[in-house]
Amino acid sequence: MLKKYFSTLLIGIFLLGCKKEIQLPLDPNQSLLVIDGSITDEAGPYYIKLSKSTAITDASNFFAVTSALVIVKDNLGIIDTLKHEKGGAYKTNKIKGIYGNTYYLEVQVADKKYTASSTMPQKVALDSLRINPLAVNGETRYNVIPVYTDPIALGNSYRFIQKINDTLDQTFHVFNDNLNNGKVNQRPLRGGSDSLEVKLKDMIAVEMQCITRPTYLYYYTLYQQSGAGPGGGTTPSNPPTNIIGGALGIFSAHTVQRRQIQIK
Amino acid sequence: MRLNKQHFLRFFCAIVCVLQIQFSFGQDKFVLNGNVKDQATGEAMIRAVIRIEELPSLGVLSNEYGFYAIALPKGKYTVIVSQLGYEKYKEQVQLDSHLNLTILLRSANTLKEVVVESGRKNDNLLKPQMGTETLNLNAISKVPVIFGEKDILKTLQLLPGVKSAGEGNSGFYVRGGAADQNLILLDEAPVYNASHLLGFFSTFNSDAIKDATLIKGNSPAQYGGRLSSVLDVKMKEGNNQDFNVNGGLGLISSRLSIEGPLQKDKSSFILSGRRTYADIFLRASDEFKDNVLYFYDLNMKANYKIDEKNKLYLSGYFGRDELGLGDAFGIDWGNKTGTIRWNRIVSSRLFLNTSLIYSDYNYNVKLKNGLTNFNINSNIKDINLKQDYTFYLNPKNTLRFGFNSILHTISPSTFSGTVINSNPKNGRNGLENALYISNYYKASDNLSVDYGMRLSAYSLMGGDAYNIYENDLLVNTIRLDKQSFGKTYMNPEPRMTANFRVTDQTSIKAGYARNIQHLHLLSNSTASSPSDQWIGNSYNIQPEIADQLSVGFVQGWKNNTYELSTELYYKNLQNQLDYKDGAEIFTLADVESALLFGVGRAYGLELLWKKKEGVLTGWVSYTLSKTERKITGINQGNWYNAKQDRTHDIAIVGIYTLNSRWSVSSVFVYNTGDAVTFPTGKYSIQGQTLYQYASRNGNRMPSNHRMDLSVTYDKKRKKRIQESWNFSLYNVYGRENAYQINFQDDPKDLSRTQIIQTALFRWVPSVTYQFKF
Repeated sequence: MLKKYFSTLLIGIFLLGCKKEIQLPLDPNQSLLVIDGSITDEAGPYYIKLSKSTAITDASNFFAVTSALVIVKDNLGIIDTLKHEKGGAYKTNKIKGIYGNTYYLEVQVADKKYTASSTMPQKVALDSLRINPLAVNGETRYNVIPVYTDPIALGNSYRFIQKINDTLDQTFHVFNDNLNNGKVNQRPLRGGSDSLEVKLKDMIAVEMQCITRPTYLYYYTLYQQSGAGPGGGTTPSNPPTNIIGGALGIFSAHTVQRRQIQIK
Repeated sequence: MRLNKQHFLRFFCAIVCVLQIQFSFGQDKFVLNGNVKDQATGEAMIRAVIRIEELPSLGVLSNEYGFYAIALPKGKYTVIVSQLGYEKYKEQVQLDSHLNLTILLRSANTLKEVVVESGRKNDNLLKPQMGTETLNLNAISKVPVIFGEKDILKTLQLLPGVKSAGEGNSGFYVRGGAADQNLILLDEAPVYNASHLLGFFSTFNSDAIKDATLIKGNSPAQYGGRLSSVLDVKMKEGNNQDFNVNGGLGLISSRLSIEGPLQKDKSSFILSGRRTYADIFLRASDEFKDNVLYFYDLNMKANYKIDEKNKLYLSGYFGRDELGLGDAFGIDWGNKTGTIRWNRIVSSRLFLNTSLIYSDYNYNVKLKNGLTNFNINSNIKDINLKQDYTFYLNPKNTLRFGFNSILHTISPSTFSGTVINSNPKNGRNGLENALYISNYYKASDNLSVDYGMRLSAYSLMGGDAYNIYENDLLVNTIRLDKQSFGKTYMNPEPRMTANFRVTDQTSIKAGYARNIQHLHLLSNSTASSPSDQWIGNSYNIQPEIADQLSVGFVQGWKNNTYELSTELYYKNLQNQLDYKDGAEIFTLADVESALLFGVGRAYGLELLWKKKEGVLTGWVSYTLSKTERKITGINQGNWYNAKQDRTHDIAIVGIYTLNSRWSVSSVFVYNTGDAVTFPTGKYSIQGQTLYQYASRNGNRMPSNHRMDLSVTYDKKRKKRIQESWNFSLYNVYGRENAYQINFQDDPKDLSRTQIIQTALFRWVPSVTYQFKF
């Protein structure tokens, strides 16, 4: 948060930073299984996507893993063996995403087994979106505040996915209630120094997810690493994941709500 | 722990016994003592070498206040005093009673000024200190620096073993240590954040500074508290002969200082201020009118000679930075320090200094969103009482001993605001005590040894709860009541350096030192930020320990006009700290739950070749080094490069004096890029490209190099007014040095990954006008 300001201040005013594309010698990559799995409180089916990581210099056509055995179970005893649909996406048949339930994922690729579990948190209602104008240097900037009331109990985590006129905001917006436990949220979805600017008449779509603590840690780590600039940017590493077995990615059970608003 | 204490006491007794024997030899001697001063200004001369021509095996150094004493048998002697940048002093004295001799040194012809001192001529070979460099402010004034603002911290970075924390940054790393492992003292007061404007300027206003000495890990026993280095910055005392006004106008900042006698020959003062004014230009432009960006600082010092035996000094520093964006965001931070010192000549051979020191560093962050306000505050405050004795026991032994007690009050980052639960965090107090004794022993004409012991202790004080974690789990909480003490860490710190002069132009040095650090800076960013937090020892955090072994070799040529010094060092570090991945350093209730611990090692070779006299002076420095860390929980527990690990560092500094008006100087630097972590692969989660990483800091930023030029014109002196102009160009050939490297999807082809480099400075010209009357 602070570092974003520093970057803006420094690059923006003090120094005329010049950017250019360069080539670097990079270490060879060890291709790993990537699991991108979500169980939500929306109606199924849900998808578990499997792919392989590739080298930086390769095109981002991530190789889909199509011959895996993928099973999702829940704490009620339902066992769902997923079917590969296409492009590495495995579809659930009968599992239902319900608040409070724990979901267990098992993925078997060749002779390697990967497991993860996630308990869907309680849904916190997204009441509305509020426009938050900010006048600086003669121009007005905008961002959006998701209005919700954090429950009394400590330990809620949230993720927000923001689209500006259908374009995904690349900033990882994750909040928790360390500071504002039990209060109405006032914190805006503030983009990073490189993210899209929000202008008048823009359509902002926000997806709010109530997420688990491990999912929060995963995205928060990504958020911290995203600004490798002056005054900030932590040394990057693969974010801590709840997947056991050496795969990249995250398995998340979360709730979903969506709202949109036009900037005016 | 008890064993340590016993060891220390035994050691102490042994020294005292040895000294007693020597003491009894010295009964029918007379003492020659006094102060060494600058003739023109009355400033005390530190570390001047005092020798007796008739007895070449003897020699003492003046102490921090210019005081010296030497006991000699009755007789006639020639006293020789030498000091960097000053003419050699020679005087005949007849000693048949105790004699007080004030030595006034005359400034040498500036054309021959030596820029970096490690001593002058072969007197360098007398001093046993290792890894020590002194920067004289007059002498560095011609070295080019960015924005034309001369800065000791940036000039220090041109010396071997000292690395800059980034381009244009005044932060520095010494021999593989972290930025918080440097003890930065301004008139004995610790400065917790020595940078302005996120590091582009240092807190040291060169107009107010007399000199600065950097000791790279082998510090004498009177210093302690940080692992890697001591940077001892002394403010000017003020001219006690004449009133002077000094000033400088630059593109970024301006300075003004006034100094003069309060009572001629007896007391003086100096007042010096500085402010940047980039914000004034910013306010004039529409695009940046709400940007706030400035700093100011003020240095004050006064001294008063009570009588021949007592002198009082009062010094203070106050500095503040303000950064902001309208009322949406603001951060301000600053240091305050104050020192009261009382010099007392207790007897002809015993000099005592008592200091009471105050230091305060704090920062505040303000954020505003519509109707809501939000603040983060943090503060560290020290009250420090110190006594240092210098006892000129006999011409072969100078004994130093004393104690130091610091009460630290550390308030961690605390949030407050309109829509958040205030999270009152208790401040923590710690008491740091130290006791030391050391002896400068001049064994013979050729051999000198400085050996000593420091015993440092840190006690947790009551008022807060301390959590104890084992394997990530909270296993116990200890609540300490106010007025009660918790755990005390006690560590002995043995120190030793020896110097053997092989010939008049060759000497060999060796040293060992253990340093202990009780305060730690928590930072999870790759660059320093004013909001990095200090934390003291606790039940989880143990004192950091460094053991450094070094050997050196100094060779001079042509009557020591040229000098090559070589040092090799190996350093072992214990109890090093880092954060876990994803640690929320601001909002965590207990930041200790997010810490990881480990060890480190650093080793290297340092070469410094100097040309000390002539129309062309300067130096070439080269460092070959390695620094690594091994921390459980990072890099699978394997050794990895610390971010400041750089294999090669080269600096070439040349100052060419054309005539008494014009001089040209140039700096060239080259260094291996910092150790960083670049991704090896990529993958996609929910439509976003993420990067895959392998080992920590296994990659390198591109190497940096750059050349700067500066031209100084000294106008002919008109009556009292002395004026000079300095024109400088930073980065002469416009090299785009990588400041930041980002990986991103190519906007034109999203399936391709682009590597984008951001460079900061290309061609920064600056002009500075200076005057003095």
